[in-house]
Amino acid sequence: MLDLQGYGPRLIEGAGVTIQLAVLSLLLAIILGLLTATAKMSRNWFLRRTATVYTTLIRGVPDLVLMMLLFFGGQIGVNAISDMLYYNYEIDLYINFNAFAAGVLTIGFIFGAYMGETFRGAFMAVDNGQIEAGKAYGMSSGLVFRRIRFPQMMRHALPGLSNNWMVLLKTTALVSVIGLTDMVRVAAEASRATHEPFTFLIPVAVVYLLIASVSEWIFARLQKRYDIGFGGQ
Amino acid sequence: MAATPTPLEVRNIKKRFGDTEVLKGLSLQAQKGDVITLIGASGSGKSTFLRCMNLLEQPDDGELIVHGEPIRFKTTKHGREPEDWKQVVQMRAKLSMVFQSFNLWAHMTLLENIIEAPINVLKKPKKEALEHAHALLDRVGLTARANAYPAQMSGGQQQRGAIARALAMDPEVMLFDEPTSALDPELVGDVLKVMHGLADEGRTMVVVTHEMSFARDVSSQVIYLHQGLVEEAGPPDQVLGNPQSPRLKQFLAPKY
Repeated sequence: MLDLQGYGPRLIEGAGVTIQLAVLSLLLAIILGLLTATAKMSRNWFLRRTATVYTTLIRGVPDLVLMMLLFFGGQIGVNAISDMLYYNYEIDLYINFNAFAAGVLTIGFIFGAYMGETFRGAFMAVDNGQIEAGKAYGMSSGLVFRRIRFPQMMRHALPGLSNNWMVLLKTTALVSVIGLTDMVRVAAEASRATHEPFTFLIPVAVVYLLIASVSEWIFARLQKRYDIGFGGQ
Repeated sequence: MAATPTPLEVRNIKKRFGDTEVLKGLSLQAQKGDVITLIGASGSGKSTFLRCMNLLEQPDDGELIVHGEPIRFKTTKHGREPEDWKQVVQMRAKLSMVFQSFNLWAHMTLLENIIEAPINVLKKPKKEALEHAHALLDRVGLTARANAYPAQMSGGQQQRGAIARALAMDPEVMLFDEPTSALDPELVGDVLKVMHGLADEGRTMVVVTHEMSFARDVSSQVIYLHQGLVEEAGPPDQVLGNPQSPRLKQFLAPKY
């Protein structure tokens, strides 16, 4: 029988960190991705430019470098702001740049760029006549987005979205470098201490696989849901 | 001003796409109960003109007055634009459009298509919207297709469904953009029959069409456009029965 040598509870805790981190990062990435896609399709030059710089920058720099930059740089930035507040306004504010928040921010920020491209392609795939019908019936642009553009875009976005999610999930393993105790870090520690790497790393791999399978099932259901009306039923 | 404002009036609409001026100053006035048909060869600007009436295209010049209310415009670096999009949104809710390619929302059933804008734009209670929708479905002969998705329906059914969707808005004016041009010939009749019925009950309609018999039978006014200008306009027996310009004669002549 599998003997986790007392590391069991910490591994479970670590798995919890991994899942929370991945889900929160995904949410942030989706929001950033929608914003980026909208900015890239905007007729405002500045917005388009900013979005392009963002995606180029993110896709050109290794995730690990970005993560360390944001974590260490973020703490320096936060300190500078709280110093400024103290000296100028005597507001005493100390913010500890939390490793978990840094992890979510970095991963969300990185994948927001990829999601941006996924969503942009998906938005462009929506038939313009569908949008025009919305406008012609007196829908505001917000209503057109919520009722027509978004639901029709999703079926095109989901394959890319699910792919990005799988990569994102595995990228969370990098957070151990900024001191977050996810399940990979616990397993690595345990392996070193016990000299039994397989005992810890194989269960970790299985947990990743399990999360991946569950998400594939969820994405398949979502795809079915958003394919309704498009001959996919 | 008359007791009831004119449902739709456009004055001197101009529009260019790049170097081509497609509308060179077009005007039109639809009184209550008018059926105005716009005819002309492809490229004459008739669809663009219609799309300027609900601002799916932004005219470069001209006035648009819906139910007595002039739409306000401003000039930006992107060209002329409505000053207040809220006003445009409210204006559009008074005009409903029927498209050449139907444009029923593909992810909704026919019934959902019909109640969508009444509920979300006009803020009608759902129960009321549903009752109205069922009555309209009955009227266009699609009661059995209420829960079908557009992709599961024939073109003729989709277009009759789109007309029901337009009627659900209780519009001041209905705009038809070549409603039968994308249909198989044997499906055209059903759609025209529904449109005939609308004309008979006094709906105000502006119709871009190639169906000359429809133009002849139901319109109060026929406007023949050529290269962005009105070439001839008037009652159908005059314009279609006794065309003056050589171009219109040529246009109306049998093609084979």
